[in-house]
Amino acid sequence: MRTQNATAYRFLTPYLLIFAIFWIWPIISSFLISFQATRTVPWRFAPAFNWGRLIGDPAFYNALKNTLLILVIQVPVMIALAIVMAVLLNSPLLKARGLYRFAFFAPVVVGEVAYSAVFRLMFSLDFGIVNKLLESVGLEKIDWFSNVTPAMAVIMIAVTWRWAGYNAIIILAGLQSIPEDVYEAATLDRVSKLKQFFYITLPLLKPVIVFCAVLSIIGTMQLFTEPFLITERGGPGGGTETLGLLLYRQGFRSLNFGYASAVAYTMAGLAIAITLVQLWLTREPK
Amino acid sequence: MAAVTLTNVVKRFGVFEVVHGANIDIADGEFVVFVGPSGCGKSTLLRMIAGLEDISGGKIAIGGKVMNDVEPADRGIAMVFQSYALYPHMTVEQNLSFGLRMNGNPKADTDRRVKRAAEILRIDELMQRRPKQLSGGQRQRVAIGRAIVREPQVFLFDEPLSNLDAELRVQMRVEISRLHKELGVTMIYVTHDQTEAMTLADRIVVLKAGNVEQIGAPLDLYDDPANRFVAGFIGSPKMNFLSAKVVETSNSAATVELVNHGGARLRKPLCDAFPAIGAEVVLGVRPEHFFEAGEGDCDIPVKADVAEHLGSVSYVYANAGAEELIVEREASRQRASGDHFTVSIKAERALLFDKKGARIR
Ligand SMILES: Nc1ncnc2c1ncn2[C@@H]1O[C@H](COP(=O)(O)OP(=O)(O)OP(=O)(O)O)[C@@H](O)[C@H]1O
Ligand SMILES: [Mg+2]
Repeated sequence: MRTQNATAYRFLTPYLLIFAIFWIWPIISSFLISFQATRTVPWRFAPAFNWGRLIGDPAFYNALKNTLLILVIQVPVMIALAIVMAVLLNSPLLKARGLYRFAFFAPVVVGEVAYSAVFRLMFSLDFGIVNKLLESVGLEKIDWFSNVTPAMAVIMIAVTWRWAGYNAIIILAGLQSIPEDVYEAATLDRVSKLKQFFYITLPLLKPVIVFCAVLSIIGTMQLFTEPFLITERGGPGGGTETLGLLLYRQGFRSLNFGYASAVAYTMAGLAIAITLVQLWLTREPK
Repeated sequence: MAAVTLTNVVKRFGVFEVVHGANIDIADGEFVVFVGPSGCGKSTLLRMIAGLEDISGGKIAIGGKVMNDVEPADRGIAMVFQSYALYPHMTVEQNLSFGLRMNGNPKADTDRRVKRAAEILRIDELMQRRPKQLSGGQRQRVAIGRAIVREPQVFLFDEPLSNLDAELRVQMRVEISRLHKELGVTMIYVTHDQTEAMTLADRIVVLKAGNVEQIGAPLDLYDDPANRFVAGFIGSPKMNFLSAKVVETSNSAATVELVNHGGARLRKPLCDAFPAIGAEVVLGVRPEHFFEAGEGDCDIPVKADVAEHLGSVSYVYANAGAEELIVEREASRQRASGDHFTVSIKAERALLFDKKGARIR
């Protein structure tokens, strides 16, 4: 046994080394860096420097507010949409199921830059298809990228478009694991299709939905690509700047690694905290 | 109270017809078992009565009312599924009361019905558990309880015991029988297990490939099967079938010769459609209808292959000519593999079938 284990570990060593150097070490190192003043040479230990700044930084609160706003609006809407899509995909009435499944999943595969460029185009003031549609039904066109509210909306729409199908596929797997005869029993019990959905389908999907929600919360807490590319680095005027973007701006543009590390740890901490609260709220009753 | 009548009921899935015009009359309060091999259409028939499958042709009436276009919930039936189909996220109590609660039934009445079902099935102590925390037999009870709570006129069971172990199956069989006596309602029960059918049924409907082969009381089917299929399906161990040939007919009787047993002959009374001389026929003899040498009308020598001693009886799997025979012997524990012995057949205890399997009588 002993020698077998040793052999196994020898085979694992290359991976463990890489994992230690490129994962564990940065995690530890950035934690340490967050306690150092990194704009001086050499760096010096100053525990309150970054964390103290964080607590009083309006840019941080702005990014936090934006991130949480996107989180509380986009995640529930997307999950709800994903559930609806999954139910439709699961319907026996649907023809060409495979095609829809592929279409729903496809956005995840599209390159981030390409998808962001397309969204910029679609929402562009003068040639965007969205404004063309608005005008064609007699509404005023919207200057999506010059105002904060529409810019936030574009980000939420884009993120939802990209990830709803992905979640729908996961939820679909959950739907298909619910046995058909449970619904038949409910039909015999004179429970309408709608009530079956709310009293049987949703409760039985709960673990899957919680799983999707946790994944989405973690993803949204780290939101970066969309505000970076679609609303051009959190524009207008920082109105869509997220924590991810703030981290990038501090770390890689101002080269303020200490502060960026503090932001990174805040993001991770928040994601864990929100997830725990959510797991607690949706725990199985005893 | 409700009788169930199926008139020329046909079921097609696309172009495949799986039930070919079934005619079945079930009296009020009767316990009827649909039995047949896998895929013969038992479940399909039951699900059509429940309203879970459309009826492609014919009529189904419950309590005198044609139900073809009536919603499942309005047919006055309750169904117990093979897989129990309990609501996994609800407690036993919630499982029982769910249907009533969803339909705004007064709480007092719901509680009364749930309590009564729990008492009948002795599941009072399990009320706060979830299906996951129950054994197979307990789940089955809850599933039956959910049916009782609906206070239906007709109970439908689709192989309710097939997921249970042998001992529990016998126990639940007795309970279902008791339940039928207690509630006095019509029950239709699907199984592929002929023992279950024999022990539970007032009447059995034997199905084969979407056709009703015979309907009758268990012992009538056993003693007087309409054809070779029913003869072979009902009874355990199976009836023996011996190849034979008609060799002579006179005014009142015919003689058949067992072709694999050195010309052993048997005389059977003649009847209308008796096959002509030379026709191939099949003689059916139940294992317990082999007598000691000389006691019957013709003797055939056999060689024991395997002997199963069950205590009260022994089954000897024997070779005779080119044929396998199963012979039941009471109190013959000494019979061992390789023994040669002689069995005897009585004409009145042997059934005759023509080449297509129809009974000749
Ligand atoms: N939804 C369906 N679509 C097409 N064919 C079906 C469908 N359901 C059943 N069948 C066919 O109908 C026939 C009867 O099926 P059914 O389920 O009634 O058999 P059964 O007698 O209950 O068998 P078992 O003892 O295995 O449960 C089978 O040949 C089956 O393949
Ligand atoms: Mg079946």
